Amino acid sequence: MIFYLLIYFIIVVAAAMAIMSKKLLNSAVMLALLSIGISILLFAYNAPWAAVFELSVCAGLITVLFISAVSLVKNDEDALKEKRVKYTVFPLMLVGFAVIASIFVPEYFANLFQFASFNPSNNPPLGDMIWLYRGFDIIGQITLLAASIFVIKHIFTKETKNEH
Amino acid sequence: MNINFPLDWFFIAILFFTGAYCMIVSRNIIKLLIGFEIISKSATIAMITAGQATNNMALAQSVIIVMIMVEAIVIASGLALVVKSYRLNGSIDIKKLMNLKG
Amino acid sequence: MAIDLISYSLVPLFAALIIPFIPRKHRRITEIIANITLLSGIINLGYVIIYYLVLNDYTSYTSDAFTTLMLFTIYLVGMAITFFSTYYEVEKDTNFSSYYSLILVSVSAMCSLVMSRDFFTLYIFMEALSVCSFALITSDSKTFSIEAAIKYFFLTFPASVLIIFGISLLMINYGTFDFDTIKFTSMNFLTFVSLSFIILGFLIKAGIVPFHFWTPDVYEGSYSPVSAYMAGIVTKVGGIYAIIKIVMLLSSYGFGSNLSKLLLFTGFLSVFVGAIAATVQKNMKRMLAYSSISQMGYIILAAATFSPIGIIAAVFHLINHATFKTVLFLNSACVEKSTGTTNMDELKGLEHRMPWTSWTSIIALFSTAGLPPLSGFWSKLLIILALWQSGHIFYAVAALIASVFTLAYFTIMQKKVFFGKLPEKFNDIKEAKYQLLIPVVVISLIIIFTGVFFNRVFPYFERILS
Repeated sequence: MIFYLLIYFIIVVAAAMAIMSKKLLNSAVMLALLSIGISILLFAYNAPWAAVFELSVCAGLITVLFISAVSLVKNDEDALKEKRVKYTVFPLMLVGFAVIASIFVPEYFANLFQFASFNPSNNPPLGDMIWLYRGFDIIGQITLLAASIFVIKHIFTKETKNEH
Repeated sequence: MNINFPLDWFFIAILFFTGAYCMIVSRNIIKLLIGFEIISKSATIAMITAGQATNNMALAQSVIIVMIMVEAIVIASGLALVVKSYRLNGSIDIKKLMNLKG
Repeated sequence: MAIDLISYSLVPLFAALIIPFIPRKHRRITEIIANITLLSGIINLGYVIIYYLVLNDYTSYTSDAFTTLMLFTIYLVGMAITFFSTYYEVEKDTNFSSYYSLILVSVSAMCSLVMSRDFFTLYIFMEALSVCSFALITSDSKTFSIEAAIKYFFLTFPASVLIIFGISLLMINYGTFDFDTIKFTSMNFLTFVSLSFIILGFLIKAGIVPFHFWTPDVYEGSYSPVSAYMAGIVTKVGGIYAIIKIVMLLSSYGFGSNLSKLLLFTGFLSVFVGAIAATVQKNMKRMLAYSSISQMGYIILAAATFSPIGIIAAVFHLINHATFKTVLFLNSACVEKSTGTTNMDELKGLEHRMPWTSWTSIIALFSTAGLPPLSGFWSKLLIILALWQSGHIFYAVAALIASVFTLAYFTIMQKKVFFGKLPEKFNDIKEAKYQLLIPVVVISLIIIFTGVFFNRVFPYFERILS
């Protein structure tokens, strides 16, 4: 129980620091820390495959994408125009929301938990599940990958004629 | 394991509020994408608690793997759009995108 | 998933993956591959529907009539858009290869979406479809289209997140996602919460009031054939199809009086807000966008009655509206190419120079308003009949009054743009090329034939409910 609370605390602190930081590079690094926290949580919930996937994709790939996009978009004059007061007031609003939510949310969801259907016998291994039961998701993944290839190619195309 | 269910959803609500606040308040489009990422993480934890409650972790894991892939692709295309908009407009401020009224 | 129809979604995917290997100077081969793929699909499906199911009434050919009908509509609109954009801008050497690949991939994603029997499979293909449409909107690299794409991105991703929350709550209750295993035998509180999240997510994606803020900007700012594609099929398959599926599941178990009242009110708001806002618009594409919102409201009104005739009316109006809006948007693209503007205050008297465009748009707008003997009349009649028979007299009268509004704003548009005297600066515009008019004329003929031969077509729709 203490273990879960510690992981949740790390996650929330990383998310708050990702929002409140001035530079975009620091936000990207805090996002990577958030993903590592989520991955440890997934390990603790006895889901090792999803945890490994999350670690390699989110903490690796998305952080690299963010850092490359941030270095392509250099804005010096716009970075200081936002009012910093909106961000420094954020921890106060977070604590306020947490206090209000702790009155309503846990007992609402404890009420919903009664309807859960818990069947202890139905637990096939993961390989069976991906290939046999949900085999058509593979076509979905191929479609998604093909879509992403053509999307990036289409947005960044070189034009042979200039537009006047 | 099962005593954590209301606590999990309490943290899902807090993460959702964090991401939504980031999306509402900031003017930089890349900060908006960071908020989108935080909200997607909270949706991932929602799926894992559902899998834990019905003891069907294999189904929850296959769903989560596909969801992480979808999120990576959507963020990649969002960042591509932002970079192209910067090349055409010169700034990444969302208040400047008011050419189409409404 | 329905396995016997799977080749309809795999063939466009393979064609899309072959296209990048063609060298860049052979533009004709790319266009020929894209057009032939979709043309063969449509001839196949047209043969199946007309020969087997309308004339001869074989019931064992395919497992589901609704799926086959939606596949036919998807291929029809996709074929029209591909053929149209082949001849739309021949002189500019834009990024054609990835454009055709994107249209083929999105057709494949939509076909797999209508064939799925599972909530999560629906979600995957819906995400693939919306990723494709981000890129298709920005096809002409102007500031308007990039802005439209960014607005579409940020205003529809909350819908995806809400759908995932709804699916995970549904999984807590049932342990699986299939349409066949989920039997809504008892509407307990958890099912109600999860279904309301899911329906809210799909209403945002479909562009219904009060979540309609992205629709006019996206339709106005995007590349012209692509806005015909989005209005014609993407917002329908991505949004309203899932709502009709959930209504079909729930109505066979006799539930949903609360949900029915809520959906009726939302549909009623959409119909009126769309109709009133469309009368004051000055830009042709924006007016067509508000008219789309209004017609989607009609579909929601019909589906919310939870009765068999309501569901038939909703499906029929969905397919009809796909044909009307495609014709109208393609006509506005022709007008924009010929005259260079879409502002209705500047356009006047185009009928003398562009007769074919004018007559096909007259057919489409009379069908939207619901004049006999076109197909729009039958679908509006079925909607009003469904509302009257299930006891909601107020909504039936309101739908009838809004239909008069529809006729009003479309006649205003027609009078402003096409009738009247031709001003001086438009003296030397020509009619659009004959290749651009072929898809428009074909779809107009389909509108006329579906209306005139309605007694042959209607028994096919009754089989949807089995």
